Amino acid sequence: MSRLILKDLVKKFDDVAAVNHVSLEVDEGEFVTLLGPSGCGKTTTLRTIAGFYQPDQGEIYFNDRLVNNIPPAKRNTAMCFQSYALFPHMNVWDNIAFGLKMRKIPQDEQKTRVAQALEMMSLSGMDKRMPGQLSGGQQQRVALARAIVTQPDILLFDEPLSNLDAKLRVQVRVEIKEMQKRLGITSIYVTHDQDEALAISDRIVVMNQGQIEQVGDPQQIYLHPTTSFVAGFIGLANILSARVVAREGARVQLELPFGRLWAFAGDLRAAVGDTVKFSFRPENVVRYREGAANRIEATILHAIFMGDAIDLFLDAKGTRLRARAESAARLKPGDVDAFSIDETAFQFLE
Amino acid sequence: MEKKPNSSIDYLLLVPGVGFIVLFIGSSIFITITQSFGILSVTGKSQFTAANWIAIFHDKESLDSILFSLKMGLMSSIGTLLFAFPVALFLRKGGAGKRFLASLIKIPLFIPALVAAFLIINLISYHGIVNEGLLALGIIKKPLRMLNDKFGWGVVAIQIWKNMPFVLLILSSSLASIRDDTIDAARNLGAGTFSVLFKIFVPLAMPGILVSMILMFIKAFGDFAIMSVAGPTYPPSIALKMRNTATLFQEWDKAAVLGVIIILTTILITWIYSRLAEFVTGGK
Repeated sequence: MSRLILKDLVKKFDDVAAVNHVSLEVDEGEFVTLLGPSGCGKTTTLRTIAGFYQPDQGEIYFNDRLVNNIPPAKRNTAMCFQSYALFPHMNVWDNIAFGLKMRKIPQDEQKTRVAQALEMMSLSGMDKRMPGQLSGGQQQRVALARAIVTQPDILLFDEPLSNLDAKLRVQVRVEIKEMQKRLGITSIYVTHDQDEALAISDRIVVMNQGQIEQVGDPQQIYLHPTTSFVAGFIGLANILSARVVAREGARVQLELPFGRLWAFAGDLRAAVGDTVKFSFRPENVVRYREGAANRIEATILHAIFMGDAIDLFLDAKGTRLRARAESAARLKPGDVDAFSIDETAFQFLE
Repeated sequence: MEKKPNSSIDYLLLVPGVGFIVLFIGSSIFITITQSFGILSVTGKSQFTAANWIAIFHDKESLDSILFSLKMGLMSSIGTLLFAFPVALFLRKGGAGKRFLASLIKIPLFIPALVAAFLIINLISYHGIVNEGLLALGIIKKPLRMLNDKFGWGVVAIQIWKNMPFVLLILSSSLASIRDDTIDAARNLGAGTFSVLFKIFVPLAMPGILVSMILMFIKAFGDFAIMSVAGPTYPPSIALKMRNTATLFQEWDKAAVLGVIIILTTILITWIYSRLAEFVTGGK
């Protein structure tokens, strides 16, 4: 187990910085997810931690040990790959035992540890099978067993679930989380799937264009995004700009084309007359009930039944908004209806 | 879409190709076999006898030439592999000059074996470039005998040069099918360069290694051109011996025995290969 510290990490490919001055500290036993769209530098960061890439600048520490110049084989990390990367010419047992053989662990201990790993991943009895004879889910479990059996300081996950079907993905991510908590191994998990990130992480690092946009626990990231990129990337968001026209205690009034809205200001420093950027979630735009704040009128453009709710696309005097209605509501395109936005739903962005 | 089974008309398509093989190759193999037992003999009367076989196996020169050809087959296939594998590994990764190197290596494909043999003679003959160079540099006092040497180094050298491209093509496609993730996983789990090579690259490229070794062996074992130019004066290779027996001594039936030995050895080696391949790939 290790603390992981990245200090001002830069990794360039042909003068393009895939990772651009990234600094991050991960505590012992913590589960941290690097989340972002493809090309945001999350996988490059992970592979640099593993030692497959040499950073152009910056330092990587495992506890107090600088590992920049330590080859991947000596870093004692264990990586789970998107493709599973099982050795196709070895059976399940030999795949799992590979890391132990490389570390010259005595035969007896190898046997006990592989058997333990097999049992932990519910793979008992499959040890003689070849990878080609296993389902995707089983292969992923072999890859996990192969990773944890070496008792790594840091577990690295490179989109390990993206080749599984949706149901299995949810199941395996719970298994990964449980296993990680039980073993207490520091873990870095890379994904572009926000649901996965929210479900599995202690902390989420949202990355964009090689840089960190925001770091926080899942609730912070979802409920209090600080940049428009984070607001837009995690879940759905209405991202707008408006002028502050009044300030009253902890509230500000914003002027928008479809009316004036009161918003809880939080620690917003803007003065009257400033233009601010902010976001609110579709689920905070609901059908108006008597006494609710911020009443607005809008035309329904599309109403999409999702089962647990209805997704609404609204036109409020030329401004497009996303909203949510309860699934029993009878709404159809062309209807004009009243909606309200809760004052506390506003997240002011940088 | 389900395919309709072949109708009898479709089988007519096979006639030119398969017919040719059966008629010309098949029948000549058949005649070679019967001739080796004295039946359908070109010379003398036709009558079953094991005398030709007994004579060949009691003839020291024949035995020596069989052994020598086996040795040349083995040495050439191992030698080519040793030279080609590192190059194939380099080409897999790529890097500066990859395209240039890849085309440079293909040159021997366009040069006939006999021409190649003569080209290399210039290099390694008694007064060839290598010897003259080494003499001039004072590294050796007397020219080295590298051509028509007793061991057959000259033959092996030419075989390696001539067959590198074939082997490289086979090995490259074998190595290309190995995923980078697999290599990274091994390194991540603690495998150093040596372990990655022998635990991952070699076993995963084994089908390609076996195919290229077998092809090389068959080519070098039955080779005539290179052996006749660069081979030792004694023993002759099995193909040379066969030619001599047939045309020089007019002993066609004995030559047929040598021919059958070449065919049998090839079949045997191919069989061993298929068993090995089955073993390596777990019978899939």
